[in-house]
Amino acid sequence: MAESVLLEAAGLRLSLPDYSRKPPFGPAPPVDILHGIDLAIAPGDTLGVVGESGSGKTSLGRTLVRLHRPTAGRLLFDGRDIANLTEERLRPLRAQFQMIFQDPQSSLNPRRRVADIVAQPLHLHGRAATRAEARRQVDALLERVALRPAHGERYPHELSGGERQRIGIARAIALRPRLVVADEIVSGLDMSSQAQILALLRELRRDLGLALLFISHDLSVVRTVCDRVMVMLNGRAVEQGECAAIFASPRHPYTRRLLNAIPLPDVDPGWVARTADNQLGEELSMNVKDSVALVTGANRGVGEAFVRVLLDRGAAKIYAAMRSTDGYEAPDGRVRPLALDVTDHGRIAEAAAECGDVTLLINNAGVNRNRPISDDDALRNARDEMEVNYFGTMEMCRRFGPVLAANGGGAIVNMLSLLSRVNLPMIGTYCGSKAAALSLTQGVRAELAAQGTLTVAVMPGAINTRMGDMNPPPLEDPADVANAALDAVEAGEEDIYPGVMAEGVSQGLAADAKAVEKEFAAYLPG
Amino acid sequence: MTGAPPRDRPILSVRDLHLAIAGRGRHTPILRGASLDIAPSEVHGLVGESGAGKTMIGKAVLGIQPSPARISGGSVLFEGRDVTHLSERERRALMGRGMGLIPQDPMTSLNPAHRIGAQIADVLRLHLGMDRPAAGARALELLNEVHVRAPERVLRQYPHEISGGMRQRVLIAIAFACRPRLIVADEPTTALDVTVQRQVLALIKRMQAQEGASILFVTHDLGVVAKICDRVTVLHGGRVLETGETRRIVEAPEHDYTRALIAATPRHDRPGDLLRPVPEALTARLNAEALAYDAAHGSHG
Repeated sequence: MAESVLLEAAGLRLSLPDYSRKPPFGPAPPVDILHGIDLAIAPGDTLGVVGESGSGKTSLGRTLVRLHRPTAGRLLFDGRDIANLTEERLRPLRAQFQMIFQDPQSSLNPRRRVADIVAQPLHLHGRAATRAEARRQVDALLERVALRPAHGERYPHELSGGERQRIGIARAIALRPRLVVADEIVSGLDMSSQAQILALLRELRRDLGLALLFISHDLSVVRTVCDRVMVMLNGRAVEQGECAAIFASPRHPYTRRLLNAIPLPDVDPGWVARTADNQLGEELSMNVKDSVALVTGANRGVGEAFVRVLLDRGAAKIYAAMRSTDGYEAPDGRVRPLALDVTDHGRIAEAAAECGDVTLLINNAGVNRNRPISDDDALRNARDEMEVNYFGTMEMCRRFGPVLAANGGGAIVNMLSLLSRVNLPMIGTYCGSKAAALSLTQGVRAELAAQGTLTVAVMPGAINTRMGDMNPPPLEDPADVANAALDAVEAGEEDIYPGVMAEGVSQGLAADAKAVEKEFAAYLPG
Repeated sequence: MTGAPPRDRPILSVRDLHLAIAGRGRHTPILRGASLDIAPSEVHGLVGESGAGKTMIGKAVLGIQPSPARISGGSVLFEGRDVTHLSERERRALMGRGMGLIPQDPMTSLNPAHRIGAQIADVLRLHLGMDRPAAGARALELLNEVHVRAPERVLRQYPHEISGGMRQRVLIAIAFACRPRLIVADEPTTALDVTVQRQVLALIKRMQAQEGASILFVTHDLGVVAKICDRVTVLHGGRVLETGETRRIVEAPEHDYTRALIAATPRHDRPGDLLRPVPEALTARLNAEALAYDAAHGSHG
C-alpha cells in the first residue's frame, strides 16, 4: 500500500499564534488554521488545492513540506511519519520535497546571481563537488526551464516575472525532488507567461515523474495542470476528487459558487444580470465551528441529526429545543436542553431573552398531519400545520432576528421541503404550509440581509424519519441533510436541494414547472 | 450587433498617441501610435500583457503625465478637448464631474489616516461644492448604492478596518460620486478573490448602466472583458493590433495575437492539454514589427 502513496496526511491540524489578539504581556492565543485535512498523493500525481484568501491553502502547503509543524494528525512521506521530526532529522529528507513560492521577487536573494541561487541547494546538500560541476548542473537546469546559460549571470531584478518564476522552479528541481509544492506561482503573471509556466510544469511532471501539489485560487489554472483537486474553505476540505468530474458536476455549494464566479472568455450578456441583487452585497456566510446554535424539534429525526452534526463540526454550544425536555439526555456537555414549543409565542420571546448568545438558528420543528385536502378535518389539519410550520417559524425568526444582529449577523436555517415548491397529492395541506414557509423565508432573508444575517432555505426530498414515510422515495439520511444545510451556511448558499431526488426535481422545476406538477399529481400513494 | 465603430460622436478619442521614456541617451518607446474611440455609455476593454502600455493609456486619458515617460505625439480628446497637456489645476477641474478612476489597489488608494465617510465627503465637497451635511448624507446614499452592509458604521471606519472587497466598493462609490461621464478602471478586480470579483464586476456594470457613464476598462483578463465590455482594443508593444465589438473579437479574432491570447487563457471547463502558450515566433514577429515601426517613425523623439 505504502509504495503507491508518496505523501499522506490524515487528520492534519494546524494552530498558529494569533498576534492580532495578543495581550500586552503573555503569549498570543492560538487560532485554528487547519481542521483535520486528509489527502494522499501518489508518485507522479498532481493535486490542485483551491480556495480563497483565508481558506488555509498556503498553510496546508507549508505544513506538508514541514515549514510548519502540525498541531495534530499524521503526515507520512514515503511511509515515514514526518509530522514531529526535528529539523536535524528532516534535513536529509528535505531534498525530496521542495516548495516554490508565490512571489519570486521576494523569495530570490536580490544580491546573488541567478547561477548562485540555483546552485545553492546543490552545495547545501553536497550534490556538486566542484564549482565547475555545480555550474554544469545549473546550466542544465536553466535549459530544463527554457532559459539560457546566460541568464545565470544576471540578477533577479534584471529578469521578467515569468523568468524569475522559472528560476524558482529550477532551484526547486535542482535536487531532483519527488514532490514539489507550488504556491500560487502564476498568480502575478500575465496570460502568456502564465501559459508558458503551466506548460513547463506539465512537461516537468511528465519528464521527471514529479508529484505536484499545486495551490491556486484559480480553478481554471488548476484544471490545466492537475488531475485531481481539493477545494478548501475555512481550513477544511469541502470537496476532493477528479478535476473533470468535480468541474462538470460540483457537489458542494461552495465549489459551485467558485466555478460560477469565474468569468470564462465567452460572451455572455446575462452574466451580470445573473449576479443576483443580494449577491451584489458582501458575502453572507459563517463558520459552523464555534457557533452557538439553537435547533428546534431537536429530540428526534432531522433535529437530532443536526445536534450530532453540529457537535462533530465544533459548535461551541447547542440549545436543543423541544416541546418537553422530560426524559431527554443531552449527548454532550455542549448541548443545553431547552423547553420550547414553537406554537407558544410567549415562550419564544422568553427563549430569545434566555439565549442571547445564539448565532445560528435552525428552525427544524415541523408538523405533518399526512391527510388530503378533501379530508373532513382538513381545515383543522391545515391550521395545526400552519401553526407550527409557518407561524412558529415566523415567530422564531422575528424574535431571534435581533439576537442574531447583536451577535454579528449569524444565520437562519429553515428546514423546508421539496414540497414547498410542488404539491404532493394526499398531503396537500402540509405542502401548503411548507410553501407558505418558503415565502416567509424569502421575506425574512430580504429583511435581515441588511443586518448581515444569512437565511438558508433547505428543501430536501423525503428523509428517513418517521415523518418522511409518506413522501416519494428515495429516503435521504438525516445526517446528510443536516451536513448539506451547514455546508450551505459556510458557503453562503441561500436555497439548497439536498439529495439526488431533490436536486433532480429542482432542475425539473427550473426547466418546466408544469410538467413537474403533473408528474407529482400522478403520484397517488395507495 | 455589428463590428462597426460607434456611430455616436465619441466621448473619448485617443489619436495616434506616442509615449516614450527618454533620457541618458536612450529613447524607449512605450506607445507607438495607439488610437481608440469610446462612445457615450460604452464599456471599452483595453487588453494586453504587462508592458503593452495599457496602464500608460489609462494615465494619459486622465491627463496624467506618466513620469518618467513623456507624451511625444498624438492627442487624447475628451469631449473634443485635448487633455494631454493640462495644468494641474485644469486637470483637477476635469476630474470628478468629467472623469473618475477606479484604481487597482484598494489599499494604497485610500488615505489610511482618514475615515471612509470623510474621504467620500471630501470628493463631493471639492468637486460639487456640497456643504458638510449634504456631503455626509450623499456619502451614506452612495455606500447604499454600492451595496455596503451597515453603511452608517462603515462611514465611521478607517480603511484598515474593512475588507479588500469593501474597500473596492468604497472606491467605486468615490469614482461614481460626482456622476462622471467617463471612468478609467485600471485592473480593478485583480487583487480580489473570485467570488468578490464577480460581485464587484456586476456592481461596476450596474452602476455604469444606471449612470450612463462610459468606462475604459484596463485588464489582462479576457474573461472579464467577455463578460462586461461592449468593445475591446487589443494592445501589444504599445501598438493597437485589433479593435472591435467584444463578440467578434472573442469568437472571430482577426489578429494572430488575439487568437493566441485566447488559446493561452486557462478554462476550468476544458482539459488542460488544450492550453497553448503564445508561440515564441509570434512574439518575435510582433517585436520585430514594433522595431520596424520605430525605424519608420523616428521623428517622435
